[in-house]
Amino acid sequence: MKKISLSSILSQLLLLFFVIVWIIPTFGLFISSLRDKDLLAISGWWTALTTTEINEIYRMSGMETQIEEDGYFKIKGTLFEENSGKKIESFGINSKKINEFKIGDIAIFKDESEVILDEDGNYEWRSKSEFQKKKGKRLFTTSLSPPSFTFENYREVLFKEGIGRAFINTMAVALPSTLIPLIICSFFAYSLTWMRFYGRDTLLAIIIASLVVPLQMSLIPILTIYNDFGALFGVAAKSYPGVWMAHTGFGLASTTFLLRNFLKSLPNEMMEAAKVDGASHYDIFLRIIIPLSIPAFASIFILQFLWCWNDLLVGLVFLDQVPSEIILTAKLKELLGSRGENWEILTTGAFVSMTVPLFIFFALQRYFIRGLVAGSVKG
Amino acid sequence: MKNSIKSLVVFISSLFLSFSAFAGGHAYTGPDLSGQKVVMFGPWLSPEQETMREVGAIFEKATGATFEYGGSDSFEQQVMIDLKAGSAADLVVFPQPGLAANAAAMGGLVPLGDDIKQMVLDNYAAGQSWIDLSTYADENGNEQFNAIFFRTNVKSLVWYSPDNFEDNGYEVPSSMEELMTLTEQMASDGNTPWCIGLGSGAATGWPATDWMEDIMLRTHSPDVYDMWVSNEMPFNDPRVLEAMDFFGSIALNDSYVNGGSKAVATTDFRDAPNGLFTSPAECMMHRQASFIPAFFPEGVEAGVDYDFFYFPAFAGKDLGTPVLGAGTLVAATNDNPATIEFMKFLMHPEPHEYWMAKGGFLTPHKGVDGSKYASDTFRKLGEILTGATTFRFDASDLMPGAIGAGTFWTGMVDYTNGKSAKDVADAIQDSWDAIK
Repeated sequence: MKKISLSSILSQLLLLFFVIVWIIPTFGLFISSLRDKDLLAISGWWTALTTTEINEIYRMSGMETQIEEDGYFKIKGTLFEENSGKKIESFGINSKKINEFKIGDIAIFKDESEVILDEDGNYEWRSKSEFQKKKGKRLFTTSLSPPSFTFENYREVLFKEGIGRAFINTMAVALPSTLIPLIICSFFAYSLTWMRFYGRDTLLAIIIASLVVPLQMSLIPILTIYNDFGALFGVAAKSYPGVWMAHTGFGLASTTFLLRNFLKSLPNEMMEAAKVDGASHYDIFLRIIIPLSIPAFASIFILQFLWCWNDLLVGLVFLDQVPSEIILTAKLKELLGSRGENWEILTTGAFVSMTVPLFIFFALQRYFIRGLVAGSVKG
Repeated sequence: MKNSIKSLVVFISSLFLSFSAFAGGHAYTGPDLSGQKVVMFGPWLSPEQETMREVGAIFEKATGATFEYGGSDSFEQQVMIDLKAGSAADLVVFPQPGLAANAAAMGGLVPLGDDIKQMVLDNYAAGQSWIDLSTYADENGNEQFNAIFFRTNVKSLVWYSPDNFEDNGYEVPSSMEELMTLTEQMASDGNTPWCIGLGSGAATGWPATDWMEDIMLRTHSPDVYDMWVSNEMPFNDPRVLEAMDFFGSIALNDSYVNGGSKAVATTDFRDAPNGLFTSPAECMMHRQASFIPAFFPEGVEAGVDYDFFYFPAFAGKDLGTPVLGAGTLVAATNDNPATIEFMKFLMHPEPHEYWMAKGGFLTPHKGVDGSKYASDTFRKLGEILTGATTFRFDASDLMPGAIGAGTFWTGMVDYTNGKSAKDVADAIQDSWDAIK
């Protein structure tokens, strides 16, 4: 039986603590994205299961809907949308005293018209004289709203706000931007590891050195080259192939370096045996290296894919910010500006953008961990 | 550029003309541009970007070309990357003449040619002053006509809820003294007088520059304002500090602004006016330009749920009734036929009328049908304009981009975060000296 020591309990508790700290924001985002937008605006996600008090202003209907009844001119109507589930606690007719009346009270305006209100928001506004104004007076309600969850936010975000389209755009950027460097780097890493040629170490040194160059430095020069190229061949300077090439260029050094470290750990004897049997470099690569490197490929795929998926800068610079090209992160940033007050859209949008990384991570997590330690342990 | 500012007084009558123009719609017809594409990049996000795309759809229908619009709230930075690399969108919407002048100096804009210039002269009231404001030196120092104004606005407005004013027994003030007394009274009644929000992505701080400009026009003569814009009078002049401190007397007073002075810099300018419509009201007044109703909550109605009054001048100072205004410009980065045709399309009344009907849009175009304005509230702007004795273009928009779209913005954010007026002004002046 395994012995349970104090230190292992402590470390387990510490781990649990960090897991909770990590998960809470995601969980909160998820709950928020499912909540009714009116409730979300005024209360935190941790109150999602309790009843929330809401203060609102409604305007009653105007003169067009009035009817004459029992010696009064009456305007009847309802404040809430159907099935809102809200129950009015108190109400007011003046912005200074929004809780002045209880349900059942008769509130009297300055012009001596009266209003009575039931807890479902149905009102009857009556006056001895005919109503003259096109717009009704304001009612201030304080109501209790039951917990309310909805998929409406997701429908809105995916179909109305353009997140759905941006999701596809990001896929169109991230998949090729991952596969192209993966293919190139596999050949490259092989030649750097198992082929002998003049200047190999220098080449490797250059690749490692280029890891240090920040990509921000090269944005404008690359865009200038694209632009000249585009002008020469009559194609757009900002386009999907352009982003793929940019991501490939920026990612190639690190992917090559990671894969080379992995290949280096493969036993030399295997290659030598293959050579003795008459295998060419191409055969060795295809029949031995690739099957053995699947875990390494997977981990590099994950790293590069997540990088491209989460990227904002490259997508902003190398694509036009139009609906057919805007990527998810840029779209979210745009919503942050234009719909900053609409939390339901932001939280839902953020959650949509997280689904793919979460899926990839859970599906391939054993490779992910192997990828992080690739090359660090010599086997 | 200074003379052009002065001649813009004519702008007042020009806008008024557009209110009183004849009824009847206009339909644009253009050449066949099938297969061509025009891409526009600008600072407009939702809801303005939808309107711009709908305006573009009119062009698509008439010419067969395709139109795409993209917006960003880091527009000022992104457009410079694009221009430096030479890959900017065909059309660029500049929120400020100063930024457009920078772009022109980099050689990023194409001259628009005499026929478009003639269209501006013919169609825009005070056409020459608009042309002066959009004529910039190119990379060789030659003056070129580079851009046309599309969508202008008036800044000196205070938005409020007439119902809230009535409930509390407040009167619309007619002088700055009355406005300050009202502010004080609101605070002592337990209400919060102002909602101020400076947040605007990478452009955070600009609403405070509008405050500064409006105050400058109300505390000093227009000549001082012009000297300030051209930096003949340094930014750290006592007169500028005085204006900044006046702004501070409101924005830095915790009981005068919604959320306290700490919230000023962090509240988004688009969220700030929402405080007028909450229950109980979070604030009573909001000073902002004529485009702000586009960001009001859904369902509120002009003239019923909200209204505006003129940000008044001091009765005790003999400076008349100054009005501050601004506008966005559209410039072209290449001269392909579809792009140039789009510029001509923008000089046609139809796009103007389309946007007028959507609200938040003023235009100096003489040919538009004034009945297309979204509501009487916008027509009322004409009264404010005709009542003006001085009209000035937004100062930060005219200053060089590094100041007017840079240190002036960040400086005002620093100021609301507690830095002294002197330190802020000194820093802005230093940055101005650095680019001279």
